[in-house]
Amino acid sequence: MKFGNLLKKELRELITFQAMIGMVFTMVLLIVMGQIMGGAMEEGFDTSTITLCNKDTSAFTEDVLTTIQESGHTTINFVDIQSEDYAAEMERLDLKNVVIIPEGFGDSVTVEKKPAQIQVVSQMQNGGFAGTMSTVSATDIISVIQDVCMDEVLLENYGLTEADIELIRDPLELVEYTTLNGKTSKVSVMELTAITMMQSMIAPFAIFFLLMMASQMIMTAISTEKIDKTLETLLSAPVSRLSVLGAKMVAAVISALLNAAFMIVGFVFYMLGMVGGAVEDITASAMAETTNLPIDASALESVTSLPQAMAELGLTLTPMSYVLFAVQLFLTLAIGLAISLILGAMATDIKSVQTLTMPIMIAVMIPFFITMFVDINEMTGVFKLIAYAIPFTHTYTALTNLMNGEMMLFWGGLAYQLVFFVVCMFLAVKVFTTDKLFTMSVNFDAGMKKRGKKAVEE
Amino acid sequence: MATVLEVKELSKKYPKKTKFAAEKVSFTVEEGEIFALIGPNGAGKTTTIRMISTLINPTEGDALVAGHSIIKEPDKVRENITYLPDEAGAYKTMKGIDYLNFMAGLFAKDKETLDKYVERGKAICGLGDRLNEKIGGYSRGMIRKLLLARAVMTSPKLAIMDEATSGLDVINALEIRKMIKTLAKEQNMAFLLSSHNMLEIEYVSDRVGIIADGHLMVVGTIDELKEKYEAANLEEVFERVVKNHEIR
Repeated sequence: MKFGNLLKKELRELITFQAMIGMVFTMVLLIVMGQIMGGAMEEGFDTSTITLCNKDTSAFTEDVLTTIQESGHTTINFVDIQSEDYAAEMERLDLKNVVIIPEGFGDSVTVEKKPAQIQVVSQMQNGGFAGTMSTVSATDIISVIQDVCMDEVLLENYGLTEADIELIRDPLELVEYTTLNGKTSKVSVMELTAITMMQSMIAPFAIFFLLMMASQMIMTAISTEKIDKTLETLLSAPVSRLSVLGAKMVAAVISALLNAAFMIVGFVFYMLGMVGGAVEDITASAMAETTNLPIDASALESVTSLPQAMAELGLTLTPMSYVLFAVQLFLTLAIGLAISLILGAMATDIKSVQTLTMPIMIAVMIPFFITMFVDINEMTGVFKLIAYAIPFTHTYTALTNLMNGEMMLFWGGLAYQLVFFVVCMFLAVKVFTTDKLFTMSVNFDAGMKKRGKKAVEE
Repeated sequence: MATVLEVKELSKKYPKKTKFAAEKVSFTVEEGEIFALIGPNGAGKTTTIRMISTLINPTEGDALVAGHSIIKEPDKVRENITYLPDEAGAYKTMKGIDYLNFMAGLFAKDKETLDKYVERGKAICGLGDRLNEKIGGYSRGMIRKLLLARAVMTSPKLAIMDEATSGLDVINALEIRKMIKTLAKEQNMAFLLSSHNMLEIEYVSDRVGIIADGHLMVVGTIDELKEKYEAANLEEVFERVVKNHEIR
């Protein structure tokens, strides 16, 4: 009854209406951001409509433009650029980009038999990532025209057949194989990378937020109680200190899981929005499809075999792997909470709480960023040792180790975390069940120059 | 009258300190008695109170609360005491009534007792409908009243209060002093108070212990001390004991 009472109180302190609003807001913000970014990327790579000003009257140019329109893939939006003051003309016609075919374009290719000039005017977009993505490169726009021109030149100037042209344009039949840990599968490495990249981003993101949320929550909970002296009231009541400690830790875990759930849902939708796909279908094949942007259209052919290929390469996790990962995640959370508990007990005011969160933030962020950019297992020397010494590193690498069958590394990491947890928990219990809870403090006065412990006494 | 608190040569030395924060402190508090521990800042009042409240462990000595040792039976001790720290706060996101419910839940063994405690708390704090508001919106005086009600609603054998009226205006402080006296007289509750306010101590307490440099220098009723030191008031006694270490 008393533990339930304590847990209820802790949960009510942590999961407030304002906190729920914050969680929902973050999730919605991520979803909206994903949609905006995805929209900007699609717009940026969209070559289905070409805005074009044709100043050439040759039959060649007419043929090229007619072929493009008849292909059904691209629509030409004809405009009339009247002067060379392109900035003014773009403004007048409200254009982001325009292709200008100058006079003599056709003659240059067919009569003079030399490369014909084609002009592309693009408006540079401001406004961060979305603006950058919607700035279209000239190559993207003219690629369609260039292909048709090449066909026309080959047909008319060199008398080749359409079959010849087809062969010239696509002389190779690409069959891609990907190998991983001694296994081979007939699949494009680019497509697999796109999927695994998404997986490998979501897991560390979840770990990062889970740890940060839980740690900050318990640290604030302990330090606030200590500063407000509600802890003294609580601990002089007939409840065991361990049940007070346990209630705080359980509440922090529940609250952190709730926070992380909102965050992860938001992040998944953000990623799906970014890659421009349908957010409803989160199956592996759907993810593969959504990651195939128009720039890599050839990869679409083997999409249906992706889940199978992932299974062949051992890139899918077994239920046992998920259980092991969950155990490691729980252990990680417990380590974070135990350290935070000790740090929170040292706080003497709100300012010192902020400073005391630094060590845990650094310990969580270092492996997070390392795993984003490099494979820790491939690192060497002292850097690898430092990375492995941080207990949270092993959680970031756990999924990869389980996928790759690196069980020695996985079990080693888990064992190290277990030892680390036992030590941290022993220290946390020692702090919480002895005088240290009230006498231990870190003095950050004088710009942290004089750092030392002082006993709170009167 | 039965002895509720028996402090026996209680001492505390903090790590890395050469001096004892409290050394061989001994005194008793009887049922229905209000005992005040007075002394300058850093004299050892809070250290002594914290040891009796089982928050910190004594280096030497012991104290018995309702016959239970603070070292051997801290759980039993906590069932018989309540502690109100100096400048204590309450959970700001909780409503006043929820706070009383929460704290009563830590003492009560069944729902009936819990309700009885909360009803008593509601009556003592006198906050009325404001109890349905969040504590974050309370004034300092309101919080102190709520905490005091919390400390006495369970009718502990011993209520320990560090600067019970600190930060309160004259009217609120008077109300609280009267409440303490009434509870001691009518419900036979024992109080261990700590204060800097000599007028308050003179008004409210039955016996006083003056502590300085970690040592309990003198113990007695107000009248006994004034007579012994031939002083007009407690302040004079306090000055002579603390400043001049004059022990009679």
